Amino acid sequence: MAPVLSVENVSVRFPGARGDITVVDDVSFTLEAGQSLVIAGESGSGKSMICQTLLGIAPGAASVTGTRIDWKGRDLLRLRDHEWQAIRGAEIAMIFQDPTAALNPLITVENQIVDAIRAHRNVSRAEARARAIEVLGLAGFPEPEHRMRSYPSELSGGLRQRVAIALALSCSPSLIIADEATTNLDVSIQAQIVKLLRELKDRLGLALIFVTHDLGLASDIGGDLLVMYAGCAVERGPVNDVLTDPTHPYTRGLLRSAPTLKSSRANPLRPIPGQMPKPGSVGAGSPFGSRCPVVVDGVCEVQRAGWTSAGPRHDVACHRFALEGREGVR
Amino acid sequence: MSTLVADRIVKTFTVNRGGATRELRAVNDVSLTVAPGEIVGLVGESGCGKTTLSRIMIGIETATAGEVSYDGRPVKSRSDWRALRRSVQYVFQDPFTALCPTMRIGDALAEPLAIHRICPPAERKARVARMLEMVGLHPDVARRLPNQLSGGQRQRVNLARALMLEPKVLICDEIVSGLDVSVQAQVLGLLLELQERLGLSLVFISHDLRVVRYLCSRVLVMYMGEVVEQGAVEAVFDNPQHAYTRALLAAIPDHSRLTAGAAN
Repeated sequence: MAPVLSVENVSVRFPGARGDITVVDDVSFTLEAGQSLVIAGESGSGKSMICQTLLGIAPGAASVTGTRIDWKGRDLLRLRDHEWQAIRGAEIAMIFQDPTAALNPLITVENQIVDAIRAHRNVSRAEARARAIEVLGLAGFPEPEHRMRSYPSELSGGLRQRVAIALALSCSPSLIIADEATTNLDVSIQAQIVKLLRELKDRLGLALIFVTHDLGLASDIGGDLLVMYAGCAVERGPVNDVLTDPTHPYTRGLLRSAPTLKSSRANPLRPIPGQMPKPGSVGAGSPFGSRCPVVVDGVCEVQRAGWTSAGPRHDVACHRFALEGREGVR
Repeated sequence: MSTLVADRIVKTFTVNRGGATRELRAVNDVSLTVAPGEIVGLVGESGCGKTTLSRIMIGIETATAGEVSYDGRPVKSRSDWRALRRSVQYVFQDPFTALCPTMRIGDALAEPLAIHRICPPAERKARVARMLEMVGLHPDVARRLPNQLSGGQRQRVNLARALMLEPKVLICDEIVSGLDVSVQAQVLGLLLELQERLGLSLVFISHDLRVVRYLCSRVLVMYMGEVVEQGAVEAVFDNPQHAYTRALLAAIPDHSRLTAGAAN
């Protein structure tokens, strides 16, 4: 199956006092209809900036370059503003982290969804209203006919996020981007929303990009995983393969830092020493080089690693792995 | 012994909904004992009463019924609470709002000493520097302002400030939830180290059961103002008895459930 989305060598830079600051560095990935991609990384890894680029909402100062972002045969890197209007919200929709900030507090749920639909589709209010009821139902919003007259402030955080999901679904997009969409929710609500997103993906054949810093959540979403560090993609592959057989020293360090329900003090967490480099301070070498326990002297400092296969559809960008395989990164 | 006890705490708030006032029981008959050197986890979702209970235990909030005692003595008068807060310190969730933005870190750390008048001014600087080193920060951080520090560094500063009075008990309210995974692991390691070195007791409030499993020896599960289950962390997590505990555990995203080679 041909991918609906193919991101090729995309970089995002901001002008800085001492030259450009690169926040997304030469990132590539593809996504097929009905599939999910989890982008995992810590703050400053560039994961949110990629999402903004896919919606054409990167800050004005950002310079987005790359070979191509292919979306159903069109190149998103070369769209004009008015061409974005036909795609943003209609073909590619986004669910943000904070549903309270994403919804207008002065407009009822009903009118927000109706307005969104009528901005993209030439339909009557009644038709848009019927569609609003339908998508609220899909998003698991209870009694939509009655409760969609509520204002966002009258709803709980979980229900607000369901409204945000309904809004994202309202124009039947082919791709939904969820940027830390469950981070502010209680764990049981988070589990419900994750289940809902998985169901919607399967039922409607949506492609889903799920951005998170939580590797546990990545395993619940499934599909493919792209691990980002300091603007660079360092490991990619099926979620299960990457998390059970991590090969990049950063992925391995992250997993050793993350407590699980099987953690105990008998088996202490091992934090990654040091801090993430400041944006723009990563030179031509490996982004993780300054913290890496298995750095290859004379190589990692000067040269970025290319992709090496670590299994079927599982790749890693690491010099040590390229030289010595799994033994080298243990 | 320096034991902190909350005994049969009740807290009711009066809420006004649509013109009708009604009583909301945020904490309903909850007891919690923190033994010396112990790390007790308090878990539950938003609104379960865990933060309200912890705020009562340090006197930021007053209980409707029930009693807090420390070292076997009930804490009642203003001076009792003032004395308690020398031994029991609270670390707040958000390291961004817990520090005054215009106050240098060194001054923020010295302030508790000045308030409690326990260290001659000339020695305060040295004590601040020692404490910064203890939480893994460079003493030069004392000259900086909060906005010059990262989230993880600020949370270390918050911990350092809570430790300035050499307390026996720390109440930590969701102090690692806003941190990145690798920074969170560093702070958890620091908490364990401090507990061991200083013989601290900790009340660790969190909604992340993975962190609680790692850090705590005992855990209380709260739901709608009540403790529904409590016990040793292994017992509660490996063999949960209450339906709510089971639901909460099942909702935790956890990659340790994955097995190599399985399909997604």
